[in-house]
Amino acid sequence: MTKYLVTRIFAAIVTVWVTTIAVSMLIHVVPGDPVQIMYAQSQGTTPEQLENIRRSLGLDQPIVTQYFMYMKKLMHGDLGHTIRGEQPVMDLLLLHLPYTLLLAGTALVIAIAIGMPLGFIAAYKRGSWLDTSLMTAAILGVSMPSFWLGLILLFTFAVRLEWLPVAGSGIQNLVLPAITLGVANAAIIARLTRSSMIDIFDQDFIRTARAKGLPRATVLYRHALRAGLVPIVTMIGMQFTYMMGGAIVVENVFGWNGVGRMAIQAIFQRDYPLIQGFILMFAIIVVIVSVLMDLLYVRLDPRIRYR
Amino acid sequence: MNAKLTMIATASMISLLSSGVASMAGDIVWARDGDIDSLDPQRATSTLSRQLWYQIYDSLLEFNDKGEVVPNLAKKWAVSPDGKEVVFTLNDGIKCHDGTPFDADDVKWTADRALSEENPSLTKASWGPVVAVDKVDKLTVKFTLSKPFGAFVPFMADEFTGMLCDSNAKSAGFGVSSAVGTGPWKFEKWTKGSEIVLARNQDYRNFGRPVENPGAPHSDRLIVRTMPEAQTRLAGLKTGELQVIVPPIQDVKDLQKNPDVDVHIAKSTGQNMFLEFTVHRPPFNDVRARQAVSYALDKDLALKIVFGDLVQRELCPVAQGVFGHDEEFCRKFGQPHDPEKAKELLGELGYGPSNPMKMVMATWPGDSREKVLQVFQNQLKQVGIDASIEVMDIGTLNARVKQENEKAEGPGFMDLMGWTWFDPDVLYLLWHSPGAYNGYTTPELDRLLEDTRTEVNPVARRAKVQEVFKVLLSEAVHVPVYTPGWLWIFAVSKKAPGFKIGPFDRPLFSDVKF
Repeated sequence: MTKYLVTRIFAAIVTVWVTTIAVSMLIHVVPGDPVQIMYAQSQGTTPEQLENIRRSLGLDQPIVTQYFMYMKKLMHGDLGHTIRGEQPVMDLLLLHLPYTLLLAGTALVIAIAIGMPLGFIAAYKRGSWLDTSLMTAAILGVSMPSFWLGLILLFTFAVRLEWLPVAGSGIQNLVLPAITLGVANAAIIARLTRSSMIDIFDQDFIRTARAKGLPRATVLYRHALRAGLVPIVTMIGMQFTYMMGGAIVVENVFGWNGVGRMAIQAIFQRDYPLIQGFILMFAIIVVIVSVLMDLLYVRLDPRIRYR
Repeated sequence: MNAKLTMIATASMISLLSSGVASMAGDIVWARDGDIDSLDPQRATSTLSRQLWYQIYDSLLEFNDKGEVVPNLAKKWAVSPDGKEVVFTLNDGIKCHDGTPFDADDVKWTADRALSEENPSLTKASWGPVVAVDKVDKLTVKFTLSKPFGAFVPFMADEFTGMLCDSNAKSAGFGVSSAVGTGPWKFEKWTKGSEIVLARNQDYRNFGRPVENPGAPHSDRLIVRTMPEAQTRLAGLKTGELQVIVPPIQDVKDLQKNPDVDVHIAKSTGQNMFLEFTVHRPPFNDVRARQAVSYALDKDLALKIVFGDLVQRELCPVAQGVFGHDEEFCRKFGQPHDPEKAKELLGELGYGPSNPMKMVMATWPGDSREKVLQVFQNQLKQVGIDASIEVMDIGTLNARVKQENEKAEGPGFMDLMGWTWFDPDVLYLLWHSPGAYNGYTTPELDRLLEDTRTEVNPVARRAKVQEVFKVLLSEAVHVPVYTPGWLWIFAVSKKAPGFKIGPFDRPLFSDVKF
């Protein structure tokens, strides 16, 4: 177990390290001169000023030197400053990240609360009309683009019924974006729960439990559900990271104050340091979540033992 | 332990959610598609930024409804006979947002900062050849120029010369977390990517803004939200959460019929949407190829299809309302729609049905610009030109145009570009060598453009400006298409009357009352 843990964490560190290389090279893969692009809208910027800016960003150094400079700063928790040299990127990410985590977390709870019971019912009633209609609904849920669903919910609950506000970052504002993000993922969880449970229902140990006369509820919840949970939990971990990504779209629809909306603005303003910081932060979150999920997987399924 | 964790989590969540600014009655909430770049008028150029600065800062001079320069922070100004000295006399009793008096020191601090060697304003070129800024007395400032510069006085009415109070020097966060000016709204807070909160400046005295209100705005706060999704802004306007929005163009017709909404369409924005070509390689190094494209386009029809009556056809290289603009004059030198003439010119160049001219058209996304190019693409097809369309963000486009001008190979490149300015000096920035995009320049055009800068007599200057128009139009270098081009439509709730757009696309909130 310890060895597995060490290997897993080592792999995670390597992943993050490779990301830092990719991120620090981002500025060089942009077609054209990045400084010229950043300052394209300023009239009358002289070549000398552009040269100064290039120097202050370290862009006049060889690429390898630039990478080491980037890493040195990164080790001190310094992700640089926004393009006009004003705000520390780290501060901005930390300011907006909690909103995105809150949104993705709430959406995940909604997705689980809807998806798991429905998937379970569909599996239990396999082949029935109920199963077919639930799975049809799930396909609809998966295929609906979240910005479209978001706008439908917005016009229904905020404009027509006036139950909820349109946009903002208060607790009432959380409801619609969390549902938007949760519904599509509920569909995925429902489908996964269904197939996982169907597998389990067919297994010998379930038949044995039934045969020895255990109450149906005990068989379903204690025996089947526990065993069926393993792949679902792993999937849910991945779902959480997808939701963080999906939050970018949803935040922009609902004006939610998260990192996603900030990232879109940063892209419009060609704020490279901020975009770099955003990508790196995202990669780290994905890596951490996947390590945690792997560990949980081991905890949940006693058959899995790594040596 | 779990209970404790839950408690901590709940507490932090509550504090997080209460940190967002909720709007209250008496607040104006204005939603736009993007955020500002900076609170510092010397560190950015976008229209989103300019419209926000205009709320916080006043300039020495102002534009009235006709677009003429009038006194503002300065109650008068005088230009010396040789045009090299401009003296401003300030109004007495103006207060900065932090309570300090606004005087000649603040003007000098602002100008010196903009003109500094190490970190000048991004629009330093527009200040002209200023060599010294001197405080004559507490309320008098003198600008000395090395040669006369006709666009200097109107520039003192621009957002780029918004007057900063010298107390900003003491603030490390100036431009991000603090901004002290003398305008009708005081800066309170900027959450990047999200919103900017401004509060009424109780001490405000209006000396030049084209509004009725002589003092502080009627509303308590002005909250400026970034909401990229147009349909969400529209929903917010309908529910009353938002009072002023930048509406989606395709919904403007419906909004105009909506009894609860006023649609304001800015006039005299100074915005000029035009076509320009890469002129250092075939085919557009030949004037006939540029003219052929211009003759092939039915610009009036394209605008009618795409915008209806939301924009005006522009015939001059500067926008309507800008000094020197004269539609009848410009009409004589531009290319009217004439597909036969276009085919004839293409034939002279060796292009024909078996050998069509190939070209790329580019623009930046939004405000239906892509649709304009789609109609153009069709029209060009009819005279036998194969044009493809590329859409990229404005920063990339600006850099791309420059790069295309430096390339010796490749298909013809044309872009639909937009520049805005209150003065024909914009043509100097665009076309005086090396030019904003390293494009078309000639020694003769350089000389003419220099004359438009140094000539201060209005009649003589107008003649010089029109000579420049003549070259740009007849050479099909700067082919004007329409005005305005971006951020010119505002949809306002009828419950918040009093909103106004001043000349050069400046939103005014001082008269807004609930």
